[in-house]
Amino acid sequence: MGNAGWGRRGFAIAVAIACACVSAAARVSASDLPAPDALISSNAPGHPGGRIVVALRSEPKTLNPVLAQDAASRDVLRCLTADLIDINRATQKTEPALAKSWTVSPDGRQYTLHLRRGLRFSDGQPLDADDVLFSFNLYLDEKIDSPQRDLLVVGGKPVVVRKIDADTVEFSLAQPYAAAERLFDGFAILPRHRLEGPYRSGAFDKAWGIGMSPSDFAGLGPFKLKEYVPGQRIVLDRNPYYWKQDRNGQRLPYVDQVIFLFVASEDAQAIRFQAGDTDLLTHFSSENYAVLEKQQSSRHYHLDDLGAGLEYNFLFFNLNDLSSKALPGIARKQAWFQDVRFRQAVSAAIDRDSLVRLVYGGRAAPLWTQVTPGNKLWIDPAIAHPTRSLDRSRELLKSAGFSWKPDGTLVDARGMGVEFSILTSSSNQQRVKIATLLQDDLKALGINVQVVTLEFHSMVDRLLTSYDYEAAIMGLVSGDADPTSEMNVWMSNGDTHLWHPNQTKPATPWESEIDHLMEQQQVTLDSFKRKRLYDRVQEIVAEDLPVICLVGPDILVGASDRVGNLQPAIMDPYTLWNIDQLYIKQSR
Amino acid sequence: MKYLSRRLIHAILLLVVISFFSFALLQMAPGDYFDSLRLNPQVSSETVDKIRAQYGLDRPFPVRYGLWLRGALEGDLGYSLASHSAVGPLIGVRARNTLLLSGTATALAWLLALPIGILSAAKRGRTVDRAAELATSALLTVPDLLLFLALLLVAVRTGWFPTGGMTSEANDGSSAWTTFTDIAFHLVLPAFGLALAMLPMLVRHVRSAMVEALEAPFVRAARGHGIPRRRILFRYALPVASNPLIQLLGFSVATMLSTSVIAEIVLSWPGLGALMVESIFARDLYVVVAIVMLSSIFLVAGNLLADLLLVAADPRIRTEE
Amino acid sequence: MTPRPTLRLAILLLGVLHTLILLAGFVAPYDVSSQNRDLTFAPPARIHFIDAHGKIHARPFVYGLKTDAVDPTGYENDPSQIHPLEFFVAGAPYRIAGVIPATGHLFGVRAPGRIFLMGTDAYGRDQFSRFLYGGQISLLAGLLAAAVSLSIAIVVGALAGYYRGWIDEVLMRTGELFVALPWLYLLFAVRAVLPLHIAGWQVFLLLVAVMGLVGWARPARLIRGVVRGAKERNFVLAARGFGASDFYLLGRHILPQASGVILTQLALLIPQYVLAEVTLSFLGLGVSEPTPSWGSLLASLQQYSVLSSYWWMFLPAVLLVPVFLLYYAAANALQERFSSVQL
Repeated sequence: MGNAGWGRRGFAIAVAIACACVSAAARVSASDLPAPDALISSNAPGHPGGRIVVALRSEPKTLNPVLAQDAASRDVLRCLTADLIDINRATQKTEPALAKSWTVSPDGRQYTLHLRRGLRFSDGQPLDADDVLFSFNLYLDEKIDSPQRDLLVVGGKPVVVRKIDADTVEFSLAQPYAAAERLFDGFAILPRHRLEGPYRSGAFDKAWGIGMSPSDFAGLGPFKLKEYVPGQRIVLDRNPYYWKQDRNGQRLPYVDQVIFLFVASEDAQAIRFQAGDTDLLTHFSSENYAVLEKQQSSRHYHLDDLGAGLEYNFLFFNLNDLSSKALPGIARKQAWFQDVRFRQAVSAAIDRDSLVRLVYGGRAAPLWTQVTPGNKLWIDPAIAHPTRSLDRSRELLKSAGFSWKPDGTLVDARGMGVEFSILTSSSNQQRVKIATLLQDDLKALGINVQVVTLEFHSMVDRLLTSYDYEAAIMGLVSGDADPTSEMNVWMSNGDTHLWHPNQTKPATPWESEIDHLMEQQQVTLDSFKRKRLYDRVQEIVAEDLPVICLVGPDILVGASDRVGNLQPAIMDPYTLWNIDQLYIKQSR
Repeated sequence: MKYLSRRLIHAILLLVVISFFSFALLQMAPGDYFDSLRLNPQVSSETVDKIRAQYGLDRPFPVRYGLWLRGALEGDLGYSLASHSAVGPLIGVRARNTLLLSGTATALAWLLALPIGILSAAKRGRTVDRAAELATSALLTVPDLLLFLALLLVAVRTGWFPTGGMTSEANDGSSAWTTFTDIAFHLVLPAFGLALAMLPMLVRHVRSAMVEALEAPFVRAARGHGIPRRRILFRYALPVASNPLIQLLGFSVATMLSTSVIAEIVLSWPGLGALMVESIFARDLYVVVAIVMLSSIFLVAGNLLADLLLVAADPRIRTEE
Repeated sequence: MTPRPTLRLAILLLGVLHTLILLAGFVAPYDVSSQNRDLTFAPPARIHFIDAHGKIHARPFVYGLKTDAVDPTGYENDPSQIHPLEFFVAGAPYRIAGVIPATGHLFGVRAPGRIFLMGTDAYGRDQFSRFLYGGQISLLAGLLAAAVSLSIAIVVGALAGYYRGWIDEVLMRTGELFVALPWLYLLFAVRAVLPLHIAGWQVFLLLVAVMGLVGWARPARLIRGVVRGAKERNFVLAARGFGASDFYLLGRHILPQASGVILTQLALLIPQYVLAEVTLSFLGLGVSEPTPSWGSLLASLQQYSVLSSYWWMFLPAVLLVPVFLLYYAAANALQERFSSVQL
């Protein structure tokens, strides 16, 4: 009896042990062996372990990639999600991501992308073309109104997405589109198995809010959501199913955890970085750079000035058609603003070197076109960089019919004294400083400038709705180095054609020429031809000055000496874009 | 009791009026939350208009206010334009954290202001008084932001205090005692800084009220009778001086939610501060209105408390009730 | 208690201060907007009598500045450039009280020398001159706002405390309404509606007046509390028994009881409104460049980089302390003067 009982129990035990072995083997195979089609990353190999702590200026508002607008949400989502084609921030060129390869039809209107096989979301569920289709339908859905939707509207029609088979998706465009590949960066691929339910029940806009439960999250990024403590921090854990590995077969990411602390004040961020609370520091001013620089070596961190970024600050005048508005004072002054010689004279009188030195502590580049030296692929080196010349200004003004009273005041042909106000947003300290310096520069010409600082929304109201302003200083930084990302600025019918938006037909011949050039470069697939087209746009902007470009600030980053494989770049996010490759040189 | 119920009814009416005017003021200021989208070259103005319509921002003001009021009476305070989530939960936790900070700081400030003020009044004209006056004037001119940056530097250089936040990452909430000490440690710097910021006004009022009380003839008479100084201070002068001080206490309660904004921003205390500043500047309308309503409740409660205490403390007022 | 001589002293000193500020154009060596772009963040000048060779000069002098050999962002004195200090010099033109043109200045050095008693700011502008000119706007704004607030507060507080009943309810609830509302939006709205070409300082004064109009609620509550208590004093009851009118009672007997509170509020409100500019200019609602105000001078020092590198930017804040002390001393002295009134 005893023997038979042991036998049955023994068999049960043997089966149990066998099952345990099998499941252990299955777990091992899922998380330790690389996925079949993993991307082999080209970085120098690091070693696993440790964590990275970064500060954010504000809290992320949502973890829903379709609805996220603000910078903090996007920063966190970049670590949690992946897209089909990435823009490598260091080279500014595209490279394969979730799509391992793609083909373009000869007419440039069809892109067929082949997904990597065998990839899994962070919750273990497999990825296939249905997820891609589902994701793009969300971005295109007119009822959801994603802020990213307009990027997918090419030639007036939305992109059409079609599933070919389980690993292949086809995108059809209404017209050939030169920057098509770059479109895919930033469109996160979402899990159908998690989000289709909320979508069908109409609750998609409440899905994946910032308070979501971490177990509901599934993404393809290097990290997954672990914990959100309101007002304090958000913690991300390593994604065991991440689809990239390094040359030695080690699955990325190297670090085990990423912590985003919410530190709302820039100065507090600098102080805490200095203290070693955080490992990376970005979006800080040149003043803090100077302070941090003094103590670099004693504190085990280093600072980098990466040179000019993509942001360009400029002065522009109100060139709107004011006939339907009751703004007679401004309309009268437009006689000056609309004369290109007046604008050229103003540009010649501006001391750009002082702007670089006094506003940015030397950490900026003077600009004469909208393309900064940091945008190496697109800058036109042939554009002239004239130095400040009050004589040239005076000649231009004289030829435009201006003259000077005995006390030095500039008057126009009708005898009216030349004075105008420059509008700028109070929340941007640098632009207020720029305005103050310009005020002084133009005093030398006898022009009386008043600096008017308004809070942001009041300013936008004047610029885009009431047109009740004379001149303004603004800055733009496009998401991408490619000129197509700024179509709405340079096209005369564009909404952000700041000096004269939404024109029904181009108001000036040079604006008409820019329209043609921009439309052409959008559909020309030959990169040489595109460059020449956009060079011509830069020449026109430098000559006719719809915007008087002033200065482009450098990108400043700080990093702890412990962090390896850093490749800071001038495109956002400056240090975190390759977070999956970063490692800690000695683990905590 | 009748007085109390009357005041409560008035309070509710007042809150409704406040909500109306808040909406109106927000409406008057130009622009709305989606202005930054308008400046984004990659989003078309049609999309911006559709998004605005989705949130009902294109509807006329009375309609929006009416809908909000109806929702508020049922407990639904609307949703944040920034995070697409309900306002109530968003501010609930943060309000509690703010109250923890400002409550501690207020208590600390009063604990410091009373002795300093009384001492200054008792020894007025002498060195102690002059020193206190100098110190409070100096404190007054130090801008709050600078004060808290300096405190942050102290934390960083000495390492005695945490450099921000309310809880450490290591704390997993397992033991109530460790959570308590963890939060207490994080509370020291912001509460101390905030108390310092509140101190000048309190000290001046305490001193002024005590000086006035000490100049009274009955105090002189009491001194003439040989009653010891300390007894005169606390049993004779202080009760008389309490009238304006009670009002001040009411003010302290009334401003509980807003005094700590800068402390929270610099020292990363997870309260309403950062949310309030962001929402106000971004015009995240329902969040702003909800915060205003919450602050108003404290305001009304603080003033009601002061009035009740006044009646209790000053028998002369009681006689006319 | 013996009446202190401090009242006279305080008022005298206040008078001197206000005169200095009124005559800012004369006392300050430079105007508010002249930039010296090569001398940004220069430290305060030191006045010497003995030069590098040990020679004693009859006139005090300052050295010229040149870039520091060790730290290129700093400056050091150049012993070869000696600029004697001169008094009653001609300099940049200005207007006394905004009306009378003049060019004489109390002191200065001849160009290319410069004398920066309080150093320079980010544009190389003389902080001392800017501090004096800034006082004109800040003190005027502070006094104006405080006067408006207190006037309304006295009327409201007196009525509410004296008449009680529904008048009290309505006034106090209105006060709570005023405190609770987010006036920032009103300020934005007002600023947005104003034409672009209003002079910066006019915008500022208007905004400060609005702040004053809104800020009456707190002082009113304090005054109301005191009036309530004072109303039941024996001598007030007696006077009423003698047939005194409400107005007479309020003016002659009751409000003087509140003088302590009123004066303390005055002494607190003036600095409070002056310092409110710090927030206002942070929000872009303050005076616009290049006009200085004490608030904008203080606002520019709220940065870590200033805290650690440019100590002289704190001088305006340090100088404000004695200014506020003077107001407190005056308020204290006045209070003691008036509290000869019996309790």
